[in-house]
Amino acid sequence: MSTPLVRASGLTKSYGGMTAVDSVDFSLEEGRIYGLLGRNGAGKTTIMQMLTGQLFPTSGTVEIMGREPAENAEALRRMCFIAESQRYPDSFSARHVFKAARWFFENWDAEFAEQLTAEFRLPLKRPIKKLSRGQLSSVGVIVGLASRAPLTFFDEPYLGLDAVARHLFYDRLLEDYTEHPRTVVLSTHLIDEVAKLLEHVIIIDQGRILLDQDADEVRGSATTVAGPQRTVDSFIVGRSVIGREGLGGLSSVTVQGRLSQPDRVQAAELGLELAPVSLQQLVIHLTGSAPEGAANTYGNSSKEAAA
Amino acid sequence: MTALASSPSLHVKAAPRSREILRIVRLHTVNPSIFFGSPLLILGAAWAVSAVIALIMLGAGSSTEDLEGMRYSWAVLSPQWYLMVVGIQAVGLTFSFALGFGATRRDFWLGTSLMFVATSAVFAALIASLVQLEIATGGWGIGMHMFNALWFGHNGWLMDFYSAFALQLLVLFLGASITTVYMRWRMRGMMVVLFSAITVLLGLVAIMTLGGHWPAVIDWFGSIGMAGIFTVLLGIALVCAAAGYLVIRRATPR
Repeated sequence: MSTPLVRASGLTKSYGGMTAVDSVDFSLEEGRIYGLLGRNGAGKTTIMQMLTGQLFPTSGTVEIMGREPAENAEALRRMCFIAESQRYPDSFSARHVFKAARWFFENWDAEFAEQLTAEFRLPLKRPIKKLSRGQLSSVGVIVGLASRAPLTFFDEPYLGLDAVARHLFYDRLLEDYTEHPRTVVLSTHLIDEVAKLLEHVIIIDQGRILLDQDADEVRGSATTVAGPQRTVDSFIVGRSVIGREGLGGLSSVTVQGRLSQPDRVQAAELGLELAPVSLQQLVIHLTGSAPEGAANTYGNSSKEAAA
Repeated sequence: MTALASSPSLHVKAAPRSREILRIVRLHTVNPSIFFGSPLLILGAAWAVSAVIALIMLGAGSSTEDLEGMRYSWAVLSPQWYLMVVGIQAVGLTFSFALGFGATRRDFWLGTSLMFVATSAVFAALIASLVQLEIATGGWGIGMHMFNALWFGHNGWLMDFYSAFALQLLVLFLGASITTVYMRWRMRGMMVVLFSAITVLLGLVAIMTLGGHWPAVIDWFGSIGMAGIFTVLLGIALVCAAAGYLVIRRATPR
């Protein structure tokens, strides 16, 4: 495998006594779409701010193509990151943002930006201060898409966007990504809608990485077993359980790891129902109230299962 | 996996440093009302108000000699307060925006400084020229004083330009450099700077007063003259510019 585009090692950010990002290690390869998933306050934005040189890590290192991003014009010119809480100069309107974008992003496609502006129905001349949350998000989305930066970060890109606009964003991202391959990092807590876009998933909770895996592997890596409680209980003996729900005599249990063919046959014979676990459900199971230790073993065991 | 190198449309070439700095200047001017439109509007409004006051005074029977009192009007300096805010917002808002667009802190400060120098030069030239115009037209035909006021109008165009330039630059850099302290150390840093400044100022006043040095200080200011005083202001502006550069290099956006 080639040298990664981004490499973070021991990356830590703490504010006083609070550790927002706690010694995380990961790398991002060229030409993939990454999902940075986790709950509010998990550390997603802080990680992206360190990757883009906006925040200085308390300890640990970030390398973008082998260079520290902070104050490095060579590394920074390859990136685009409009934070969810991005501030804009006073009295700026979207028109000013897109005009300035030309000077900062060498691959800026003004026509594409115009097309997106029309599709998102973004008012170009209204002051940014007066835009709704959804319109503000579309400013960031348009900059992220039309800049075609080799490394593009979307921080909660669809906050406040309506369903039509969200799907427009997925469609345009996928189309443009196919035409102009690049590395995209999407941070979000709205997972199901975006799940099929993602090629790789990094799940963060309380500043730590719970899972860092290829999206296809993740998709088949947990299963929900449903049926009469006793039958379910006998089936799951010896398996690692990450979620459990019960109603009357019925029970629905989520187990980690891939089920083998004999497992599936056995389940069918017992009359149990097997259902794949969606990415969103998986994140809920992992970050809901799961103890940290369990989450770590989960990542390891599913790697073994995939091997 | 597709390597980025194989995608020619996403090739990013190296740009010369000067371009990186100039694009910050362009960013500051992309909405020209911030640096130019609003200050000119304020100056124009101050002129209109001054003219109306002059007309009222004339209507009430004042002579053009009485209008000499308008020399003490601060109308000519009215855009300065707004420009202090421009300096503050250049760092408070535009800095965060420029970082999001991939600018380095170094280039941001250098570009912003260039913008400040250019803006100050333009406004100083404008004010110095308007002083001459006001004198030439006999106070816009009605004997009013707006630009030919305070220290302006006594020492020729060049001196008016120099003093306006120094003052303008000081106002912009003072606002911007204080804001870099906030962007780096937040409120705690602002408090430290504020209380340090008060302590130093009180200390100086104490030394001057208790030691009886005030006459010497006043003499010194008298001896350096108008040009000397504004050179001191220009010096303070440059100190703010240098300090701001050092502070902003580790500042983080809100």
